[in-house]
Amino acid sequence: MKKKVLSTVLASAMALSLAACGSSADTAATTDATQATATEAASDTAAVDTGDKIVIEVWSEDRHDEDYVRQMIDKFNEENTDNIYVNLTTITEDYQNMINLAYTGGTAPDIVGANGLPLNTFADTGIIIPLNEYIDADEEFQKVNEPYEHAYEGKNYKDGNIYFVYSGLRSGVRVEYNKDLLEQNGYTSIPNNLTDYVEMAKTITANGNGDYYGIGFTSSSPFERLLEMSAQVSGVFYYDYVNGKFDFSGYKPFLEKGQELVAAAYPDQQGVDNMRALFTEQQFTLWSNASQEVGVFTNQLPITDFEWGVAEVPSLDGEIKGALQTTPNKAYGIISTSQHKDEAWKVIQYFQSEEFLKGYFEGGYDLPISTYMDSVIDKSKMGRLSDFSLLSYESVYPEPPTINLQGDNYRTVLWNAVMGYVDIDEAIEDLNTRYNEALDADVASGSCTRLVIKDYDPLHPSMGTAEYLTE
Amino acid sequence: MKRKKNKKKFNSNSISPILMLLPSTLMLIVCSIYPFIWIFRYVTYNYNGFTATYTGSANFTRMLSDKQFWGSVGTTFEYAALKLIFIIPLALFVAVLLNMKMRGSGLFRGVIFMPTIISTSISGMIFTFLFATKNGILNAYLQNLHIISQPIKWLTSPNVIMAAVTILAVWGGLGNYMLYFSTGMNGISEDCYESAKIDGANAFQTFFYVTLPMLAPVLKTVLMLAITSAFKDYEAIMVLSKGGPGNRSMVMFLYIYNVIFGSGNGSQQQIGYGALLSVVAALIVGVVTIIYLFIARKLDHITE
Repeated sequence: MKKKVLSTVLASAMALSLAACGSSADTAATTDATQATATEAASDTAAVDTGDKIVIEVWSEDRHDEDYVRQMIDKFNEENTDNIYVNLTTITEDYQNMINLAYTGGTAPDIVGANGLPLNTFADTGIIIPLNEYIDADEEFQKVNEPYEHAYEGKNYKDGNIYFVYSGLRSGVRVEYNKDLLEQNGYTSIPNNLTDYVEMAKTITANGNGDYYGIGFTSSSPFERLLEMSAQVSGVFYYDYVNGKFDFSGYKPFLEKGQELVAAAYPDQQGVDNMRALFTEQQFTLWSNASQEVGVFTNQLPITDFEWGVAEVPSLDGEIKGALQTTPNKAYGIISTSQHKDEAWKVIQYFQSEEFLKGYFEGGYDLPISTYMDSVIDKSKMGRLSDFSLLSYESVYPEPPTINLQGDNYRTVLWNAVMGYVDIDEAIEDLNTRYNEALDADVASGSCTRLVIKDYDPLHPSMGTAEYLTE
Repeated sequence: MKRKKNKKKFNSNSISPILMLLPSTLMLIVCSIYPFIWIFRYVTYNYNGFTATYTGSANFTRMLSDKQFWGSVGTTFEYAALKLIFIIPLALFVAVLLNMKMRGSGLFRGVIFMPTIISTSISGMIFTFLFATKNGILNAYLQNLHIISQPIKWLTSPNVIMAAVTILAVWGGLGNYMLYFSTGMNGISEDCYESAKIDGANAFQTFFYVTLPMLAPVLKTVLMLAITSAFKDYEAIMVLSKGGPGNRSMVMFLYIYNVIFGSGNGSQQQIGYGALLSVVAALIVGVVTIIYLFIARKLDHITE
């Protein structure tokens, strides 16, 4: 009997503990988003008595600029006369899901950093609100950020609504090269056409005799880091905006050149950081990536043993026939559930004010997107970032439809063709079929619309008039 | 009257086992059965984590014609076969050696077991360095021993990637299976070995006629675990080769992972289609296990 009582007690205890686990797990699931950073936020709020101030919660996914942003927020919290207290929370993992989770759980912040929030999931679902009214009523904001000049179809702008305004941008891809090795091999500059570029890589590899190579490729999305961008500036893009369908046919010559490049490349394709480290160790001469390399080659893996240069990506025949893709960033959106939208806008006004942005760009955190800010900043303070300044033919492409694709994406397949795992013609045909079948099916089922820009100009992709067709 | 008696029996004797079973049953329902049922909701939808669009049987017909998925199923069978062919005999062999009570067997056991406690993604990362074509340790050894003249492109050649993946899988899992076998062997009575010795059996005969038959029940369970885990492996491959080169090492669950979490570049999270594929994958693993259990039952009869 004693035993029975004991076992009953034990079982009840276990059941209770499980119930306890269950309830805490539930809370964890619903408020996960806030919990992850609650400690961080708590440390801030504990130090300052917010009193009866209106607290504006801001979420950002940017860690690299946090010091500067926090310092400016502290200044704002002390000086603003609108009784606003800004509380910044940085979330770098699973950012979009965190917002979604907090939104459905009723714990969403007022402002979210919106660098790459997809409109089809955040705007179409009503999570973030259009900012047109606020922008239109604010001339200073318009002067500093030029919001309508930098409204990009499907990225931050849809059906006349602008959901967030970009202040900065990451440059398009550039060629970064080892000047010393280049000169050793009798070259002084990077050729503007792909044929000469390939020949140069081959020559350097041959001269290097296994000690160093002409070019290096990473295993992490290698296609977009050179060949896709070379195709872009040659006027080749995977989405045919005029006819509203995918078209990969133009990539053939680039894939053939790519095959020659790979044959002359450093034998391994490792992660980006590994390849960067090999570049700094002078294992290969040519590397290509966007403006984030400035921070890498000056702080993370500082290059001290040789001079490194920055050049434009070569086009197929040396002529520029299309825009080079840039990535706009540093934008903020207001969440629809915010109780203090007007105050939230005031905070965004501050984040995107001349005062805030001048220090930001001069600190080398980003490149300015607006011509106004570009003219205001002292570029000598930007360091090597000035080498990545906006080119006349750099622009943002309208977002092609997001589809439910079956099988590998185009970057994987086209790189497989470069590596010789699949035939080039077969790869192109396969992509044309799969992408368009998925697009047709998704348009038919209503999960996406067909983007058509009749007056599309490859040199000015963002200037055309977008139509969204449902068939 | 009889009924009443039964009821009484239920009350007095069954309450504590039921209470005992309750926590784990609840846990199982909450953590395993509910999520499994949850995914069924989306098999007929396009669902990207935000919006769900009903598509009827589209996902199903798509699955039937999804060459890459069926290719990955084929690769999974190939990977599982390669892994099991090497790991089970090797683990058994090592377990027998270490059971011989020689000096330092504890140390060897520890060393061989070590990879099991290292996270699979970390070991995947370490092996990318070992398998590097230039400056890779493996190629350097093989070249120094004059086994190869040119470095092998372990991770970029479709011809050898499965060898690389298998080496990693065997390295990572060997210790675990060795431990199972070794524990099983400890359960075999010394008397059996003594009588075999008296009958004049040599080491081979002792192994094949004493150790192996006595180990049969353990072997049966270990094989079942090995088969199911081999079919579900994908983490190390994800880090080592990302399913490449050219999808040559794309196993079923890695493909499903890519579908569910989205591969970017214009394609989004496809939770609905991924859910359907997970159900199909679970069915495949289930069928393989059932077939194995059926065969293993027959084998039991033979050993009897």
